[in-house]
Amino acid sequence: MASVGLTLQWEHRISPVGGEGASRVQSTETDDRSNPTSRATPEDGALAAGCLAGDMRAYEQLYAVQGARMRNLARNLLGTQSDAEDAVQETFLKIQRGIGSFRGQSSFVTWAFRILVNTCYDMRRSKVRRKEHSQDHSEESAPREPRAPGAHPTLRMALERALGQLTEHQRSVFLLYEVEGFRHSEIATMLQISETASKNTLFQAKRNLRGMLEPPRSAEAGGAR
Amino acid sequence: MNGINCQDRERIFLDGTAEEWTALERHAADCPACAEEVRAWKSLSVAAGELRDHHENTALWTRIEHSLREQQQHKARFWTRLAVWNGISLGWQTALVGALALVLAVSGAYVIRHGRDRSAEAGASKLLKNSALAEVERTEREYMKAIDQLAVEAKPQLDSSSTPLMASYREKLVVLDSAIDELREQAQQNPSNAHLRYQLLAMYQEKQQTLQDVLETKK
Repeated sequence: MASVGLTLQWEHRISPVGGEGASRVQSTETDDRSNPTSRATPEDGALAAGCLAGDMRAYEQLYAVQGARMRNLARNLLGTQSDAEDAVQETFLKIQRGIGSFRGQSSFVTWAFRILVNTCYDMRRSKVRRKEHSQDHSEESAPREPRAPGAHPTLRMALERALGQLTEHQRSVFLLYEVEGFRHSEIATMLQISETASKNTLFQAKRNLRGMLEPPRSAEAGGAR
Repeated sequence: MNGINCQDRERIFLDGTAEEWTALERHAADCPACAEEVRAWKSLSVAAGELRDHHENTALWTRIEHSLREQQQHKARFWTRLAVWNGISLGWQTALVGALALVLAVSGAYVIRHGRDRSAEAGASKLLKNSALAEVERTEREYMKAIDQLAVEAKPQLDSSSTPLMASYREKLVVLDSAIDELREQAQQNPSNAHLRYQLLAMYQEKQQTLQDVLETKK
C-alpha cells in the first residue's frame, strides 16, 4: 500500500523523539510560531493605518510580508494555483473595501487571513455548486496542480489527498497551524471559534490524518521497522 | 520519574505545555508504545512542511495592484461626482431640483390618474367628506391668494434681474405653475381625493419657498 511507502519516506525526515522537530509539536501557545507579523505589533498597526489611508505602498508591504503565505494557504484550500491567485486578489480587494470596518480587535494580518479563509470557502462552495449545476464529472477527478520542485511528491500528494477527506474546519485548522504557523489564538479569531475548539479540531484533524496515512500496526511492524 | 505516564499522552497531544512535552519525551525514551505514538504525531507536523511553498510571485502583485487602483479610482469617481454637484451654482442646482420636481409631479399625476378607480373603491376613509372638502378648498383658496400676493412682490425682482440664479428661479416657477395647474385640474375632476390635495399642497409649499428665496435674494 502507498501508506507503507509513505511511512518509510517519513522515517528519513522525522527526527527521533526529543529532536529538532519537537518544537513544532510542543505547547500550542508557548512555541515559537513562524511568523511574528501575525501578532498585533506597531508595524501591524502602521500597515493597517496605511491601508486605511489608501496608501498603495501599505498594500504592497502587506503582500511582501504575507502574500506568499496567503497564496500558499489559498492553494492548499482550493487546490489550484490559479484559484489561489484569484482568492488572494479578491482578498486584497475586500481588504480595501472593508478597511474602514477594521476596529483593531485582532491584528491586521489575522483580520486579512480571516477574509482570505472566508473568500476561499466562498470560492470552494461556488465551485462545487457550478460543478453540480453543470454535472461535469470529468473535472471532479482532475488532479491537483504540481507544486514547486523540491517538495517530496509522494508524501505531499498523499497528504493532500488525506486533507481532502477532512472536514472544512479540520483542514483549515491543520493548514493554518501546521503549515502556516499561526497560533491557536489567531486561528480562533480567523475562524470565529474558541481557542479550545481550535485545539480540539487540530487534534481531531491529526488523528484522522494519522489514521489515513499511517499503515496498520502489523504491516508497519513487518515493513518499516 | 517525571510523573507522566501513557494515559497522559493524548491530553498532552491535545493541549500539552512545553514542560509536559519534555516530560512525555523523557517517558517515551523508556516506553516503546509512547515513543511510536509521539513519532507518528510529530511526523504529521514534519509532513505538513511539504505543503509549505512560500516562493515569491511578483506577477500576482502587479495584478493585485492594478485591480486595487481600479477599485480606488471607482470609489474616487463617486466622490468626484458628488463634488461636481456641490460645485454647481445654486441657480443650476435649483433648476435641476425643479426639473426633478416636475418629473415627480408628472409621474405622481400619472399614478393618481391610473389608480383613481382603485382608490375610489378603497373606501370612504380615503375620501374627503363634504364638510372637510369645503374646508380644504377654502384654505387652499386662501393659501393661493397669499402665494399670489407673494408672487406680486417677487415679480419686479424676477423680471428685472438677468442673473443665472433669477433665470433658474423663473424656470422653476414656470415648472411649478404648470404642475399646479395640472394637479388642480385633476383635483377638480376628483375633488375628494386626499392624495391629490396633498400633492397640490406640496407644490404650493414649494412655490411659496421659491418665492421667499427670490425675495431673500433681493434683500
